[in-house]
Amino acid sequence: MVKSIVLAFFLMFGFSSTSYAQTTVTGTVTNDSNEPVQGVAVYVQNSNKGSVTNAKGLFSLSASSSDVLVFKYLGYKDVEMIVGNQTTFNVKLSEDSEALDGVVAIGYGTQKKSHLTGSISKVENKTLDQIPIGRVDDALVGQITGVNIQMTNPAAGEAPSIKIRGQGSISFDASPLIVIDGIAVGSDPDYLSSIDMNDVASIEVLKDAASSSIYGSRGANGIIMITTKQGVEGPTQFSYNSYVGSKSVKSRDYIGNLDDWLAETEGESGVAEKREYIQKFGEGTNWEEVMFDGGLITSHSLSARGGTKNTKFMTSLSYLNDQGVLLTDNYEKLNFRLNINTKVSDRVSFGVVLNPSRTEQRRFPIGVHDALRQNPWLPTYLTAENIQYVNRTRENGRWADAKVGDYAMERMFDDFDLTEGAPDPANAGTDISGTSNQSALAKVLERDRRKYQTKIFTNAFVNVNITDDLFFKQSIGGDIRFTKYEDYNGVLSSRNGAAGSSARLRNQENFHTISESTFNYSKTLNSKHDVDAVGGFAYESWNRTDAQITASGFTNDLIKTIPAANVLGAYTSQTQEALVSFISRVNYAYADKYLLSLSARWDGSSKFGPDNKYGFFPAASIGWNIAKEDFMNNLKIVSAFKTRLSYGVSGSNAGIGEYDYIGLISPVGTAIGGESNGYNPTNISNSELGWEKLKEVNFGFDIGLKKGKYGLSMDIYNRTSSDLLLDLPIPSVTGFGTALVNRGIVENKGFELEIFANPLNSKDIKWRTSALLTHNENTLIDFAGASGLISTVDSKRPAEWIAQEGSPISSFYGYVVSGEEIDPQYIKNPFYPIGGQSQDIYVKDLNGDGVIDTDDRTQLGSPYPDFIYSWNNTVSFKGFDVTLMFQGSQGAEVRNISSQYIKNEFAGNQDYVAGFADADKVVQRIFTSDDIQDADYFALRNLNIGYTFNRASINKIGLGGLRIYAGGQNLFYRMAKNYEGYNPEGIDQGLGNPLTYGYQRGPAPIYRTLSIGVNVKL
Amino acid sequence: MKLKNIIIALALVTAVTGCEKKLDLAPISAVGDNGFYKNGAEVEGGVIAIYDGLQAVPLREFALTEMRSDNSKSKSREGDWAQFEAFTVAPTNQAVGQYWVANYNVIFRANVVLQNLDSVETDADKAQFEGEAKFARALAHFNLVRAYGDVPLIDKVIIQSDEDYFSRKSVSEVLAFIDADLTAAASLLPLTNEYGRASATAASALLGKVKLTAGDHPGAAAILKPLLTGTSSLIASYSDVFYKEGNAEVIFAIPYLNDDANESQDFSYEMTALGAVSGLNYVTDDFAANLSPDDTIRTPILINQLNTREVGKFLTTSADNRRCGNDWIVLRHADVLLMYAEAIMGAADMTADGDAINAYNAVRARAGQSQLTVGTDDLTRQALSDERRVELAFENHRFYDLVRFGLANTVIPAFATATGQSFEPTDLLLPIPQAEINVSAGKLTQNPGY
Repeated sequence: MVKSIVLAFFLMFGFSSTSYAQTTVTGTVTNDSNEPVQGVAVYVQNSNKGSVTNAKGLFSLSASSSDVLVFKYLGYKDVEMIVGNQTTFNVKLSEDSEALDGVVAIGYGTQKKSHLTGSISKVENKTLDQIPIGRVDDALVGQITGVNIQMTNPAAGEAPSIKIRGQGSISFDASPLIVIDGIAVGSDPDYLSSIDMNDVASIEVLKDAASSSIYGSRGANGIIMITTKQGVEGPTQFSYNSYVGSKSVKSRDYIGNLDDWLAETEGESGVAEKREYIQKFGEGTNWEEVMFDGGLITSHSLSARGGTKNTKFMTSLSYLNDQGVLLTDNYEKLNFRLNINTKVSDRVSFGVVLNPSRTEQRRFPIGVHDALRQNPWLPTYLTAENIQYVNRTRENGRWADAKVGDYAMERMFDDFDLTEGAPDPANAGTDISGTSNQSALAKVLERDRRKYQTKIFTNAFVNVNITDDLFFKQSIGGDIRFTKYEDYNGVLSSRNGAAGSSARLRNQENFHTISESTFNYSKTLNSKHDVDAVGGFAYESWNRTDAQITASGFTNDLIKTIPAANVLGAYTSQTQEALVSFISRVNYAYADKYLLSLSARWDGSSKFGPDNKYGFFPAASIGWNIAKEDFMNNLKIVSAFKTRLSYGVSGSNAGIGEYDYIGLISPVGTAIGGESNGYNPTNISNSELGWEKLKEVNFGFDIGLKKGKYGLSMDIYNRTSSDLLLDLPIPSVTGFGTALVNRGIVENKGFELEIFANPLNSKDIKWRTSALLTHNENTLIDFAGASGLISTVDSKRPAEWIAQEGSPISSFYGYVVSGEEIDPQYIKNPFYPIGGQSQDIYVKDLNGDGVIDTDDRTQLGSPYPDFIYSWNNTVSFKGFDVTLMFQGSQGAEVRNISSQYIKNEFAGNQDYVAGFADADKVVQRIFTSDDIQDADYFALRNLNIGYTFNRASINKIGLGGLRIYAGGQNLFYRMAKNYEGYNPEGIDQGLGNPLTYGYQRGPAPIYRTLSIGVNVKL
Repeated sequence: MKLKNIIIALALVTAVTGCEKKLDLAPISAVGDNGFYKNGAEVEGGVIAIYDGLQAVPLREFALTEMRSDNSKSKSREGDWAQFEAFTVAPTNQAVGQYWVANYNVIFRANVVLQNLDSVETDADKAQFEGEAKFARALAHFNLVRAYGDVPLIDKVIIQSDEDYFSRKSVSEVLAFIDADLTAAASLLPLTNEYGRASATAASALLGKVKLTAGDHPGAAAILKPLLTGTSSLIASYSDVFYKEGNAEVIFAIPYLNDDANESQDFSYEMTALGAVSGLNYVTDDFAANLSPDDTIRTPILINQLNTREVGKFLTTSADNRRCGNDWIVLRHADVLLMYAEAIMGAADMTADGDAINAYNAVRARAGQSQLTVGTDDLTRQALSDERRVELAFENHRFYDLVRFGLANTVIPAFATATGQSFEPTDLLLPIPQAEINVSAGKLTQNPGY
């Protein structure tokens, strides 16, 4: 019943079924080795009548004599037979070596895996959609060599950072270009937030410049290509996938513990009064538990795939809700997709993709370091028991009206007279506050930061077969994004009360349209020469508008939108961009042995200066399938052996603003006679401004043993990124602090290794295992005369990075700790605040001159890992399947400034009194290696255990298939010993500037998820 | 076949229409510089931009001047802000760097106007714009040379390859250049101008101060004398000088607006307990002690009566206390009077000159203080310095007054010792910002002692 209603909802194409005399046809399906094959789809062409072979290979369905039976099974060639007079059919399926070979999407076309000469990795979506995670990019962790995906801020809905083969740019974050079903949408990770993983068939990553140069001025950071599921001929298959997971954070012994402190300070003079007072508050609050409140993640996805010979469709509807592990963070996503492919006539086919989606995100409004740095004795709210400690006369009677249920703030409880047992009206009692800040609980609950996005991704294309070998494709597509940011900081959200209230509304619209016209030629001549060529032209345009209103001065929280009286400021702006491209490529294979690929792309962009408008991006690569040579016939064990070499030039225009090459003049105002209209140049013009260039050589080889039972794939590369965009700091005497120029060279070199094996591969038990290893070395080669540039992120805590030629772009810089700490007797208040740590520490005199000064600084490490590795296992046994994935990173460091806050280093109590030995040999911790911690980790990222119910028994209850599974994410996550925090992958400040990469200041924590789910086929 | 032809034609059409014109997009929310400054209105736009640039200069100037003197300090003596009162200013100090940038930005904006003067249609406008630009350029250079010593001298629009301009010119050379700019401005500008814009009076007043700094006392006296009876005058209420905008005593001010995202200042906020490190520019005990107990007119304005360590001259009336509209007074008549007395006194320790004593008395009289009798009393250097200290307190004059009066090397070290800080003579100049030295290709050198 349900099935037919759903069928009616999704199925939009009528099926005509001619009625002839129906008979029952039966038969058996076997494979090459005469074994029966279960699960083969047998159906009547152009109808929805079908069946599936059972364990004995038997099938049975009713058909008329004019019907055509189709036999379809993955990995085998399709077989079609007219029913005619027969009632019994014994069909033998033969392996489709092409399908085994696999086809890889390579940008403007596809290529057989055995013909690939570039460095391209492909991941198929087998169980990726069961990982309980909201985003497509998060699911790729550990699946592909050369791709470093880091959970830099894993709050609900936030994007991870993705880097392919290292950081190439000096000025901008190097995010790869995202191509969805052939449309290049851009490199903003926002595009990956709304796609439903259930819709994804496969993901290809184009890693080397030769493969990515086909995308010209946008390919230098690598390309992530997503191919969504298409319709298939046959009866409509409905599937429903759902999971629910519970997320939690493992407690770490990090924030100040009240019990430990009470034990430590027992008997210490100087804190006796504070101890006595603090104990009146009882057990205190576990702020970790309050802020990391955990959450549920649920996902529902319903899809239908089906079609006839001429028309195939796929449609899906999905919903995801991620409550996030932090207090108040939340993410919801609704996604609809329709993919239709239809043959209009013999020569012409037509397709449409429509994908609207809506996401709503509530973001955690403060840093995690800020959330955790309250004193552990502080209660969350005022209660009948603790309200007696509130001092109502302090600060001019600021808390005279405090009542039960208000947020508790540290300063409320100061000036308590222990002898009287009551707050001291003369404000001369015992103080226990550590900060004048509002309670973090109020800061979180009273601030509402939301981001709403409505996206529409759509594409329509026409394929015209001009001849059998040549077809023309015209596609027109677009992606439209409406983004709304709505922030409201209430009257209780900061220590300044109503004066601290504010609101903001920001609306952005992003229209992107693309028209692509290509000719595709594919022919095999004399069965030896395989030629594949594509040539064409594309035009893209962008139109972006932005409008923002800010407001302040709210006296209460009754109205959370912005009344006119509260408007503080507003602005609107609009920019446009255009890109014209000519694309060409020829792939040639001789006897499947000798492979050659040549491509060239010209890109003209409106962003480039007039002297440099067009860019030329060529690539060439060759390959040799050694295994196919005659002399290899003796080595039967080697089933595949290919070596390949590629060289390509690709570009990146990611960081260039739409009008950066023009010296822009902006209106400015003064207070003279009201607001007069002034005009001022805001930047120096540069007519030569152009794209960043990448030149890369990639050498690789792929070995397959025993027909793919074992295999190894290795790539070694050397990438040189030049003409890098630099906001070159220039002397301010010019009137500007920086000028945007193309200079600068960075090199990335490394290797990628993938080893896989299928040790067990029988009918009953299958086990596939693969190990991936990536190594990349990043070196700044030329920094346009600014080598040794020191940069900081936060002017109040100016810990330094250095960009030194010969070292990685971003290297931590500072003093090395000598290992000794200042004797606590010299610290003003060594036992207070709770969990406190001295601000300063002894450092080494590196140049031995007896003085600690700026010459004793050195490089302290870099945030780029030396190795990233993963180990994947898939085991299937009698209906059970287990996926196990370990993943880790080695060699990266992170500058963790969180301890400055959580350990109250800045509090005056943690300053030292003069008079201790070597007072001139101490430096603030933030400038030393004390805050540079290892970001290594090793984790059981993903565990998935599923059971697929026996088809026959499932069919009896009316379902086509049922699988239940249980999973865990980050069940085991080991961090480095010297890392103090909740997330070694976290990077959340100075992100836009690669020169100050690796700064961590309270990112969201790594969490563990336990989930259960179900895949139902109707 | 026919279909094939149509399609090929279509493809070619689409290829051709994507021609280069589509790649030349003009900005929508900004204007490109190649087509600008082509007429008088646009050049005036550049002049207005100079005044916008000037708004950035006083924002933390108090830290570089008042907090280095015996007038004020930070409340908690913590962090980078305490470096000024402790004379341990680091070359990486943010306020030092921002002051450098703000002043050179004003110089750039002035040079842009001067570069495009030929587009101005009327001679009257042309003269005025030239005067305004030269005044601003001179004021910014003067700020720089007093704060940092030898500084680069920028007399035209330069770009990053004009490396000759990055090196420092001597103080005397810069002062001579400033003098020339102000002399020209005084002759080009009208005597008075719209409030907030430069006038000949302002140029002359500033020129007087420049000459005093250069040691040319007779020249200063000559320039300042006409101003005593010129367009500005002392007003009756000391409070109104600061709280009635556009009053007759103000010669040149930098205006701000209350509660405005772009035109507000926040130095008023920083001078309260809500400011950085619990309050900057807090009145020192030394200053409070040196106030005469019978100075009941000025004391309530100098010191905030509600919080007796906060400065009282810039209390904000805005709704958002971080967006304040108190204007910044650069030059006012009381300053001109006292400068005139200083010019007459010259290098001597006292003067009996009647004009000098009358000028001094006028300021004292407005404040209800006792006056000197001409013919009997002498005006001493100490008395003049003390009067400047009180009358012009917290208007960023004290430090440079001490330098000009030759008292900097006695008064400041004494004050420093009394408050537990240590002072070196090299601390009279601020360090050149380290960030600027780093990018100057070696042309910019650091001051001694840093």
